[in-house]
Amino acid sequence: MPDMLRIMIIDDEPIVGKRLKRLLEKADYIVETFTDGLMAIKELEKEYFDIVITDLKMEHCDGMKVLEAARNENPDAKVIIITGFGKMETATEALNKGAFDFIIKPFKIEEIKQVILKAETELRKIKN
Amino acid sequence: MNLKIWHKMIIGISVPSLIALIGGLFSYGYVRDVKDRQGFVMLADDLKESVLEVRRNEKNFLLHKDIEYFKYFQNSTSSLKNSLSNISAKTVEEIGENNFSQFREAIQIYSGIINDLYMQYQQEKDIIEKVREEGRKLETLVAVKKISRELSTSFILNLRRLEKNYMLFRDKPSFNALDSALTQIKNIIPFCFECVPYTESIYDLSEVYGKSDSLINDLQVKGEGLESITYKIAESERQKISAFLNHTQKLLVLALVLLCTLGPFLVYKTATYIAAPIKRLADITRKISEGDLNLRAPLKEHDETYSLALSFNTMLDHLQLTHESLEKSLELLHEKQIEAEKRASLGFLISGVTHELNNPLNNISLTAETMKEDLNGLSRKEMEECIQDILTQTERAKHIVSDVLEFVGTHKATVMEKLDIVALIEGSINLVANQLRVNNITLKTDIPNIVFFVNGNKNKLEEVFVNIIVNAFHAMKDSGTLTIGIRTDRANKNVFIDISDTGCGIPETELKNIFEPFFTTKPVGEGTGLGLSVTHSIIAKHKGDIRVQSRVGEGTTFTIRLPLYEEEVKSSNV
Repeated sequence: MPDMLRIMIIDDEPIVGKRLKRLLEKADYIVETFTDGLMAIKELEKEYFDIVITDLKMEHCDGMKVLEAARNENPDAKVIIITGFGKMETATEALNKGAFDFIIKPFKIEEIKQVILKAETELRKIKN
Repeated sequence: MNLKIWHKMIIGISVPSLIALIGGLFSYGYVRDVKDRQGFVMLADDLKESVLEVRRNEKNFLLHKDIEYFKYFQNSTSSLKNSLSNISAKTVEEIGENNFSQFREAIQIYSGIINDLYMQYQQEKDIIEKVREEGRKLETLVAVKKISRELSTSFILNLRRLEKNYMLFRDKPSFNALDSALTQIKNIIPFCFECVPYTESIYDLSEVYGKSDSLINDLQVKGEGLESITYKIAESERQKISAFLNHTQKLLVLALVLLCTLGPFLVYKTATYIAAPIKRLADITRKISEGDLNLRAPLKEHDETYSLALSFNTMLDHLQLTHESLEKSLELLHEKQIEAEKRASLGFLISGVTHELNNPLNNISLTAETMKEDLNGLSRKEMEECIQDILTQTERAKHIVSDVLEFVGTHKATVMEKLDIVALIEGSINLVANQLRVNNITLKTDIPNIVFFVNGNKNKLEEVFVNIIVNAFHAMKDSGTLTIGIRTDRANKNVFIDISDTGCGIPETELKNIFEPFFTTKPVGEGTGLGLSVTHSIIAKHKGDIRVQSRVGEGTTFTIRLPLYEEEVKSSNV
């Protein structure tokens, strides 16, 4: 497929990246995973990603910074936030800053698939 | 003695001054006496001069034997008598009554002799006249040859020459020559009646001369006596002056020596006497300033320091009351703060626990779903990996739950007892000794050989020290030096335990977070971030605190402060 979407996944829990990468690659997406937010931001400066999925609370660089970097480097990209906190404040703050949607841990695979699909539909609308 | 400081100062200054004053007064008295004596010496010298004048006139009179010199002589004698009678009774008494009565008596005798001598000279003149007349008669008789021819003119002339010699020299040889010539007349003319008056007058003259010589002798002896009395008076006065001067000199030296030795001694004594109560007060205030508000300044002195000590003690009473009420308020505030922190931290804890637990739960859920969705597509190796992930994440969740339980446990009431903190730390070191050896870590200790007691819970405090020590050798990885020191503050109210490592250190930005629950620098899954938080709350429970200093690449020092056991605090201040 010539227009396969590129997805970036950032979570300091390596299992998240590992499992999602396998799942999404099977669904014909190009996936790159990172456990360090800073490395991810550097990659964003070099490469184009359609969808960025990032954990919010990480040790060196939190998800908000990744969101800002993604919005700056590629304003068209859809940023999806994953948060471990049950609080809605951080999620709404992320939405205000331009996040496409958010998912709360622990999440079902179906949930993330739905959000990615929604994002893909949005992206294709803009492209057409 | 109940003396005020200014009394002490006056005594200290006035005693040396008094010594100087007494020395000065005595010296003044002696100098005045010396002046008086000098007057007596001058008087004695004047008397001596007068006596010499009298004696000069005496010599002139003896030489000329006439009335004119006799009058001079008498005048000088009476002027001597006058000046003697003009001397005041006081002076006479001072110089010595005895000397004066001797002097008066000597003058009296001396003037008597002079009068006698004058009479004698009148008599002498008459006899000389008679001798000359008889001589001339005899000469005439021989010349007209009325007497035997055997008596020649030349013989008579020779006789008359011998007579003149005798009158001139009045001595024994002249008389002997004259006497032998008279005897010769008897040989020539055995019975020369014409010669008898002449011969008799010569012998009369010899008798008168004898008497005069004896008087002159007496006169000279008495004159010398007068001289010697005046000399004696002058000499005695001079000796008295010399004695006075010696006394004055000795007294001045004594006063000087006393001033030089007693003066500084007294000044030193006074200074220490004045300074002693001030020093005692200063010592006690220093001790109080070091933190012991139970001490009080002694009220033993009766000088100005008494009111100072009294005011100081009153001030201390106020200060202690304020201090005690402040301490109570602070304790109350501390308890309230702990309560508030507890409430705040509970919310924080729940949100932390949620996040911490959500991560392993999410991992388990994701892995399980992957397995469910792609049961047939997964290789055996992938399947085993998934199962292992589920097991590891379950274990992680279990660990979090047990840490949370332990953390919550620190908020329960802990049993406190009197503990020897030194023994407790040594016990904690023993617990980790094996791990220290395995990790190749050198242990240095600076633990004093004294027992320090704290009010605490043995298990909780042991947990604190083991946790910090284990953190330290995690920071040092394979090798390094662990230093553990125990010290107290100056007021002896707190014990400080310093635990230092030479590990990787903590960045400044992270230092402020290390005591927060769930904060960790360890990789995901290795630590829950509750260890130092638990440590912090245990120390707070013990009314102490924990501080950390760190430099990246150099090492970290944790300092724990614990208040010393109350009884211990009191007993060490006694």
